Amino acid sequence: MAYASGYFKTSYGAELALVETRLQWAALAALGLGLGLFPLLASPFALDLANQVLLAVIGAVALMLLTGYAGQISLGHAGLLAAGAFTTGILAEEAGAPFWLTVPASGAVGAVLGLVFGLPSLRLKGLYLAVSTLALHFIVAFLGSEYETRHGFSTGILLDSPRLGPVVLDDARLWYGLLLAVAAAVFLFSRNLLRTRTGRAWIALRDRDVVAAALGIPVAAAKLSAFVVSSVLTALAGCLFAYYRGFVSIEAFSLFTTIEYVAMLIIGGLGSLLGAVLGAVFVVTFPYLIDLAVDLLPVPARLSTYVFAVKYAAFGLIMLLFLLLEPEGLLGIWRRVRDYFVLWPFRYRPLAGRS
Amino acid sequence: MQLVVNTLVLAATYALIACGYVLVYRVSRVLNLAHGELMMLGGYLLLTTASLFAGRPLLAVAVALLLSLGLGLLVYVVLMRHFTGESVLAAVLVTIALGILLRGLAILLWTAQLQYPLVALGWQNPALSLGGGAVISAAGLLTLAAVAVVYGGLLLFLRYTPWGIRMRAAGENPLLAAQRGVALPQVLALAWGLATLSGGLAGMLLACDSGIDGTAVIVGLKAFPVALVGGLDSLSGALVGALLVAAAEVLAIAYLDPLVSDVVPFFVLLAMLLLRPWGLFGRREAFERV
Amino acid sequence: MQHRTWHRLGLTLAAVAVLFAVAQAQEPYRVGLSAALTGRGAETYAPVSEAIRLYVARLNARGGIHGHPVELLVEDNVAEPSRAAAHAKKFVSQDGVLLMLNASLSSTYPPMIHEAKRAGVPLFFAGSVCPREVYPPADPLLFCSTAFAARYDSEFALDFIKETAAGPVKLALVSMSIPISRGEVDYAEQLAPSRGIEPVSNQSIPPPTPNYAPFAAKIKAAGATWVYAWAPWVTQVKTFEALRQLGWQGKFLAYAHINAEEELARLQDEHFYVFGANAFFSHNLPVHQEILQAAAQGTMHPPTQLAEGWVAGMVLEAVLAGVSWPPTPAKVLAAMNRVRVDTRGLRGGPLEWTPTNHFRTTHYYRVYRWDRRQQGAVLAKDWTAVAIK
Repeated sequence: MAYASGYFKTSYGAELALVETRLQWAALAALGLGLGLFPLLASPFALDLANQVLLAVIGAVALMLLTGYAGQISLGHAGLLAAGAFTTGILAEEAGAPFWLTVPASGAVGAVLGLVFGLPSLRLKGLYLAVSTLALHFIVAFLGSEYETRHGFSTGILLDSPRLGPVVLDDARLWYGLLLAVAAAVFLFSRNLLRTRTGRAWIALRDRDVVAAALGIPVAAAKLSAFVVSSVLTALAGCLFAYYRGFVSIEAFSLFTTIEYVAMLIIGGLGSLLGAVLGAVFVVTFPYLIDLAVDLLPVPARLSTYVFAVKYAAFGLIMLLFLLLEPEGLLGIWRRVRDYFVLWPFRYRPLAGRS
Repeated sequence: MQLVVNTLVLAATYALIACGYVLVYRVSRVLNLAHGELMMLGGYLLLTTASLFAGRPLLAVAVALLLSLGLGLLVYVVLMRHFTGESVLAAVLVTIALGILLRGLAILLWTAQLQYPLVALGWQNPALSLGGGAVISAAGLLTLAAVAVVYGGLLLFLRYTPWGIRMRAAGENPLLAAQRGVALPQVLALAWGLATLSGGLAGMLLACDSGIDGTAVIVGLKAFPVALVGGLDSLSGALVGALLVAAAEVLAIAYLDPLVSDVVPFFVLLAMLLLRPWGLFGRREAFERV
Repeated sequence: MQHRTWHRLGLTLAAVAVLFAVAQAQEPYRVGLSAALTGRGAETYAPVSEAIRLYVARLNARGGIHGHPVELLVEDNVAEPSRAAAHAKKFVSQDGVLLMLNASLSSTYPPMIHEAKRAGVPLFFAGSVCPREVYPPADPLLFCSTAFAARYDSEFALDFIKETAAGPVKLALVSMSIPISRGEVDYAEQLAPSRGIEPVSNQSIPPPTPNYAPFAAKIKAAGATWVYAWAPWVTQVKTFEALRQLGWQGKFLAYAHINAEEELARLQDEHFYVFGANAFFSHNLPVHQEILQAAAQGTMHPPTQLAEGWVAGMVLEAVLAGVSWPPTPAKVLAAMNRVRVDTRGLRGGPLEWTPTNHFRTTHYYRVYRWDRRQQGAVLAKDWTAVAIK
């Protein structure tokens, strides 16, 4: 990730800095300004979409830590989101618990679940691990649906807007601010975590677990810690999702949700936090972009039912084409664009055949 | 007695679907998550051929089966061929995307209504008495027969025919197989074709028994734990796994809460993963002890 | 010269006025519909949405309401809560709709209710299960015209079974394991003893089930003489067929979903009863002819499945007819609170909403079954009025 034209570090502090050059500072400032101005200019629909993206970013970064960095495939992601949401819903409904209580409670539930469902990872790898985490999804779904039916919430539990001190979070702009702050915090936390001993242990584990063990990395502890950290962040995302949408219902967390998150990682580019962010943006906004594109076409009203089926199929088709033509994901495109500008006016052509 | 019949029929359905997962996984290590959709298309294809060849139901079935085989070959040639050597996760995501595309196309071509190919074929699905008060539906009996034919045929095919031996070799070690002159693309294409054929057959039988609509996909996914219980790379394992899961499910419905039946396959799977993480008959590759 | 200038100015002003009037006349009544057109539930809700669209198109072709067309914005929520939430937000804050319609699974209710309340826009459940909040005392913003009605359905069904069965009844209950269906069937199980009916089995069947025989075997083993199912059509009919396969001879009462008419003809079983609130097309009423004509304009759905959405269209027209131009959500709400719709035989009587009752003041049920001699669906029980209090 070298952006500077050479290695000019003169202090240990410089070595630790996340941002290296002034141009990067400028780019970051511009990004911050853009994100700050966005809610003032955007339509309510776009703002809602942005909030969905931010929620997805938190979940995708959490999954990226587990799958993209620690190399543990999990299909229990929707189950964990649901666990966070239901912890929030049940606490708020049964005990009237406030925001500042439900958030850590959701995190705690996530930690416990992460620990329990990380245990199979000590013996299983790859596909078999993925399927054992799938069990988590079904167990949470079963419990959630039992709770809803038993307590008569046949259409889900409605939640009041949370209160942060004197502020009631019921405006999309306020939510945007909160979610942006949380997403940025999660991103920074993950970025830094990956530079610590724990994070580097995860990466070693992913690349070759036998070598990692030989290097003295406690493999079991590292795997479990990856599950726990990822699960806590995911459950938090579930909790925020519940508050933002104002309801909790098990039907909001289907297996398809998990698939969407896995798609975010792969479309974004595995093994990169930026990839998780790009993937989240793409996967969330993509169906709406298709809607927009198709709506621009003049379609006779009597064919409208077909249009919706076409939109549905187009989602699959474009995802296919994307995977077929750009296997490195959005990150690959991003790198190529960046390299083009960094090297301009020279051109960089990788050797035939990727590394 | 009825309990045994129910178990056998359910097991046969699972086994027929699981066979497709196993075939593809065995040769290419790719988990085909579009198998449920390909299976559903089998049912829909039968619906179409049945109305095309009205009055000649056998021809309709034969054409639908051929189309299913062709569909599988097509999926490999157009799509999966490009993912040889890419990360397995990306290949799995491709199958998911393919599934979404197929589901959309199915709504476009056949609408979301529940439809009945049996009516279009002009056949009935009578119940046959087995004595002792037990009955089996004709479609159920056919499913059992189909499992016998498909599994018997595949086992013989893999053991004795040159193509079968090539397929096994490709699954064992693709690099060595290729160096010994096995044409990997053709073998893989054949595996995809056979997998879709058996899945399509399962879809057709399911459609004849209880009609066809989008929920067939979820039935297809339910057979996935079955393949895992048996070990993803073993055909005979899938057979035993299907029996095990079906028995657990039928018993849960009969003696426990029917609500549990949905999660039973996963509990069987979890138990299996604890005891024999590589599946009943699978190879030990996916297993490690830390 | 000056005279001519004045003349021109006058003409220009007149032209502007005419244009303005035309523009005003073309300004539509805007309503938003979020429906499950693909994905889960599409088999039920896509025809409903299609019928509403056909109805609105026909209405506009006849000049709209008070000279203004009705603009129906349709979004496909794929039965996903997140999509429904995003669409509701768009309808309310961007499109400025007067009224939102929902034709989707119950999972999409909470986000839409949430948005409706936040913006003060009424929400009309058209073809999807009526939530309890529309019954008296009704939630101020929620309305429902759908034929099926939790609680009342089971009460009527049990009364019908009691009345039709000569002797004692051993009843098995069937639901799909989704909260709304299970809740209703559990209610029926509690209620049965009060009607002198003995519930012997309650099966909640997971939606993706390859084989219904194990469930059916359990119902048969429990010795049920009647089965009552209140679930999506797949669960009802597959359970019934599995029961018949096992040689079960009892009677089965199911809810008449939109495809019930075709299904009765397919099953041809005299002891399979369906109850509901919509009249079958076999009665061939003038309003049925209208639906068939509208469907002839081109639709991918069988016309017999369009009645439910057609009723919703009628209600929509009646509501908007009570709203003077320029319309506001508040005016629409006021109109909804006093609407009375002549259903022209599609239902057993008029559909009426009052400020405290957003379901209907009187609900009418009909029961059909197949008759072998007539080779058609016949009435097992004609319109039965149930007062909603």
